[in-house]
Amino acid sequence: MKVRLLHTRDVSPGHVRSAFSGLAPPLVPGEALPFRASLSSAYDRSRAQYDAFSVLEAVPEPEAGWLNLLLVEADLFVPALTYVFGLSHVGGRRGVLSLARLKPPEESAVSEELLLRRLAIEVAHELGHAAGLVHCAVGDCAMHRSLWPESIDLKNPAYCLSCRALFPEG
Amino acid sequence: MSAPVKLMIVDDEPHLRSSLTFWFKEEGYDVLSAGSGREALATLLREAPQILLVDIKMPGMDGLEVLRKVRETAPETTVIIMTAYASVETAIQALKDGAYDYIVKPFDPEAISRLVKKAAERYTLLSENRELKARLEAAEPALVTAGGGPMAKVLELVDQVAPTDTSVLVTGESGTGKELVARLIHARSPRRFGPLSVVNCGALSEGVLESELFGHEKGAFTGAVGRRRGKVELAHEGTLFLDEIGDVPPKVQVDLLRVLQEKQVVRVGGNQTIPVDFRLVTATHRDLEDEVAAGRFRQDFFFRIHVFAIELPSLRDRPADIPVLAQHFLARFASAMNRRIGGFSPGALAAMADYPWPGNVRELQNAIERAVVLCKGDTIEAAHFPFTTNGHAAAATSLTLASAEEAHIRKVLATMSFNVAQAARALEIDRVTLYNKMRKYGIDRP
Ligand SMILES: [Zn+2]
Ligand SMILES: [Zn+2]
Repeated sequence: MKVRLLHTRDVSPGHVRSAFSGLAPPLVPGEALPFRASLSSAYDRSRAQYDAFSVLEAVPEPEAGWLNLLLVEADLFVPALTYVFGLSHVGGRRGVLSLARLKPPEESAVSEELLLRRLAIEVAHELGHAAGLVHCAVGDCAMHRSLWPESIDLKNPAYCLSCRALFPEG
Repeated sequence: MSAPVKLMIVDDEPHLRSSLTFWFKEEGYDVLSAGSGREALATLLREAPQILLVDIKMPGMDGLEVLRKVRETAPETTVIIMTAYASVETAIQALKDGAYDYIVKPFDPEAISRLVKKAAERYTLLSENRELKARLEAAEPALVTAGGGPMAKVLELVDQVAPTDTSVLVTGESGTGKELVARLIHARSPRRFGPLSVVNCGALSEGVLESELFGHEKGAFTGAVGRRRGKVELAHEGTLFLDEIGDVPPKVQVDLLRVLQEKQVVRVGGNQTIPVDFRLVTATHRDLEDEVAAGRFRQDFFFRIHVFAIELPSLRDRPADIPVLAQHFLARFASAMNRRIGGFSPGALAAMADYPWPGNVRELQNAIERAVVLCKGDTIEAAHFPFTTNGHAAAATSLTLASAEEAHIRKVLATMSFNVAQAARALEIDRVTLYNKMRKYGIDRP
């Protein structure tokens, strides 16, 4: 399946490039494009966060054989939850992922490396959802549920064999 | 696939309903929703969801009333009450009325996920087990076996120990699949919905290992700018797998022993104790009894981790599995590289059977991957393997016993970085014999 990586203006080009070139098979890089629509209506002033559900609604429907993922810097929440890393239409071929919670607290070359790895893993995770996959019991599979940023590090930026087998054709 | 657990979200706020529906669909639940108590009860009769998440404050029939009705009409249903901070006291009333638990809005993804998982576990235990087993067997090549033999015995031991909380020590040469066995133990244990936290202790220096295991507080040492949770803490409610445990320095052994005894961890540079509940699985290629005798490994720590031992056979001790594994890897790499390669020539099969595989399953996997790259036809030949002499013409059958021995010794020495003692151990001969053979074949250390 081909991937269209959309990104808001505040996402660094390096992060977009890294996420785009590091896609896990069977995902294929299609194109990376800036996302121009405004997300201001998704902003919740009282929580100082963006409503993931509204942001997801702004992601355009992709054509057959494609998945659309929007990368944002904004911190996302869904009502009732304190935050989410991302949200997808399971099988709806659309998803959104935030970098806000993936950043390790230390600012160093090592932490940048860690961030890029987390980004690759969670990009695979949200795109997996978008393609129709649900959470996987295999601990290091990208489709395993992560609840803390540090627990993303327990996973690999790839799908386990059984998740790969569940990917739809095309 | 087994039928997913059905979950119903009951809340009068449409936005909350739809976003929680999305969230729980990602978890693999079958999600329904209802905008009022009355609608919930109607859906309950029609769809019979196993778990209900009910908002306590709704116009018309409120959450408590829904709860009471559910207890009357479908008492086996699990009800979780959602509440805003202000109505916690009512939520406690809900518990008295038979709610499974309550959760305060906005909730932590972690808290809600764990809570619902725990509730769901009661419904899925049996079917989930069967499905997971099938998934794992598809995902774990090193455990593929022709049936019977030493690997079947290992799988029997895994099945025996996995459902308990016993500490397990997995031993075996490198490349035999120790980590896969640890994963299998986790996946077949009651902790399978919890995390599997893995640390390779051999690869890290003492200071880094401590911070990796126990985490650190902000400012604990130069460079520790922020707080970080350690792998022990991340293993909470799951399994902690410590690979290459034989390489852990004595000081860290003491710290780990304390964590195992007290079931709590303190981050480096911190003083808050964090309770941890995990199952420990360790692995090593070393003989820990030797290490204890030599004073490099603490005996008290050894006893603590060596409650149940699983020893993995080397690949040469399970020759019947070699062709099965080879075929498995061939199918995998051929499909990944989009190649039509059907099988192995008789010469290739003979070469694989003769070769001693010092790097075990991992080496076999690498050899097959390389062979698939080199192979131009539809059959893998002996010449596609790196261990059938450096040339490409000679098949394994043309090698004399002496040249096969020489090639093998060279190979083992190279893998052990010319550590003669280690190579002798791998070859199961004594050091003097190995020196003699090296002199005979003119093998010099680089
Ligand atoms: Zn998976
Ligand atoms: Zn997910």
